[in-house]
Amino acid sequence: MKKNILIAWAALAVATPVIAQAPQAQDQAPRQGQRQGQGGGLSRERSFPAIASGPWNGQRTADGQPDVAGFYSNTIGNHSNFTDPQGRQPGGNERAPLGPRSERAPSRVSDPADGQIPYLPAARALQEDFAKNFSNPVKARYVEPLARCAPAGVPKSFMWHGFEIRQYPGSVLFWFDSGWRLIHLDNGKPLPEQIKLWNGDSHGHWEGNTLVVNVTNNNGKALFGRQGDFMSENATVVERFIFQPDGQRFNYVATFTDPTVYSRPWTATIPVRRFTAQDKPDGWHFDVHAVNAPGQPLRYEHDERICAENNGGFGGGAVGVPGEGVLIAR
Amino acid sequence: MTQRLTLTGALALALLAGAVAPANAAPKPVASAANAIPRDAAGHPDFSGIWQTLSEADYDLEPHAGRRDAPPSAGVVEGDVIPYLPAALEHRKKNFAGRTNDDPRLRCFVLGVPRGVYYPAPFQILQRAEDLTLVHQFGNQVRVIHKDGSLHPEELHKEQWLGDNRAHWEGDTLVNDVTDVNDETWLDRAGNYHSEKLHVVERWQFVDKDTIQYRATLDDAKVFSRPWTVEVLLNRRRDANFRLIEDYCYTFEYADHYPHRDGPQKGGQ
Repeated sequence: MKKNILIAWAALAVATPVIAQAPQAQDQAPRQGQRQGQGGGLSRERSFPAIASGPWNGQRTADGQPDVAGFYSNTIGNHSNFTDPQGRQPGGNERAPLGPRSERAPSRVSDPADGQIPYLPAARALQEDFAKNFSNPVKARYVEPLARCAPAGVPKSFMWHGFEIRQYPGSVLFWFDSGWRLIHLDNGKPLPEQIKLWNGDSHGHWEGNTLVVNVTNNNGKALFGRQGDFMSENATVVERFIFQPDGQRFNYVATFTDPTVYSRPWTATIPVRRFTAQDKPDGWHFDVHAVNAPGQPLRYEHDERICAENNGGFGGGAVGVPGEGVLIAR
Repeated sequence: MTQRLTLTGALALALLAGAVAPANAAPKPVASAANAIPRDAAGHPDFSGIWQTLSEADYDLEPHAGRRDAPPSAGVVEGDVIPYLPAALEHRKKNFAGRTNDDPRLRCFVLGVPRGVYYPAPFQILQRAEDLTLVHQFGNQVRVIHKDGSLHPEELHKEQWLGDNRAHWEGDTLVNDVTDVNDETWLDRAGNYHSEKLHVVERWQFVDKDTIQYRATLDDAKVFSRPWTVEVLLNRRRDANFRLIEDYCYTFEYADHYPHRDGPQKGGQ
């Protein structure tokens, strides 16, 4: 069964130039129980509350962390458009924006106030070049990396599908549909700077209700979404996961510093909410199924998150995992 | 000097092995206080940590002399021979002949169960009361072993890469039942394989605090004439400050095109 899927993808990958001329027909194809209505059910809130950093008075794990384990997903939109989360993706024919700009969710760029990433001119040109070519990716560099099963990286992982937080003594695991991150709750040294990674190297600690994470060793390859927004391998990121007192939401507030790409540090804010047994599984935010545990209260679990299980046609019509050829010699 | 140390070490190891494991018998758990195994709040063994096999299992599960692409090994299969059905044995021979191109590992595909456990790369076990999460460095695959009393789903048709995993304790042994896998994975580099009918029962047990005895019994009516068992030891990685380093090797084919680059052939940005 899986072999058929891989072969089909390989064929699509070969046919990319042709496929790419067509509207993203596959992107429109609903998977069971998802993408109903305007915005596919992905874009729900047009505004969201600020959450202040402060003490944590809720449940704690055995090792004293705020207990925040569970399922989560962002509340405003996906990775189609970083600065206009309910606007169009580049090329613009996937779906209409949700009303005029003033009624759509704000830019994820919360600083500077104009909502734009403060690119240096050369970096802005690269981003614009990607956006211009996204809907007809005639070169490999214009294919959305997520469409090739690449990990979604920082910060895109928090605005793609729903994800799960698991906590352990001394660490926090973020488990995404495309990749995972283990946050080391220590003051350990980052990896040597020669090592650059899709998800970087993450060391963090709790300050009251806020998980503060330093992300170094970034390779900058994952991009931030379909507009081609990006950081380079010189970037460092400080993430603050600020949890609401009732644990039902957190805001992801991340400051990006990269003197080779940006004229000054800037900050992104992504609102996220928890999903529980009271929520209906929806195949995107909360792609779970009921646990088979007769006699026990309803609870949900997620299947394995292997890209081949999850992927669909997207990324400007260019799809496909690397199904052919030897990639390693080890 | 070096040689003497090595000999001494070898002698010590031999003595230790003799003490722990009589010839042809599985190592028995050691109960000395100095070697007390870690336990969770409920008193069950706590397998949390980073583990890796020292065995040659991934090269070829069966006994083999050294060859260009495999160090020699007496094998890790109980009874030495994998009991293939006749047609399946022919398929396995074909796999062996084409192994330098056809092994799914060479594309960094998910290694499956049990191969991911004895592939020679570290993996980390993160243990909670309700489950074990296995995060593998190779390909960043993640397997969850549920041990919360839940059962396999009533409908098994997903053919997951790592199967559906439901476990329970039998004393200090974690017994995990794995089913609903796909037929995309191999069992080693020598072309040993299985179908989507594969059913695996894993048994995880401490030998001492830094060593796990891992046994997997494989049953697949399409490929094997009877169930058979592999056994390897998993060693805790105790190197200073050791931790996993992300290894999304399946991205190598296209990684050089990002961010906003034409790739190495054209000089890049």
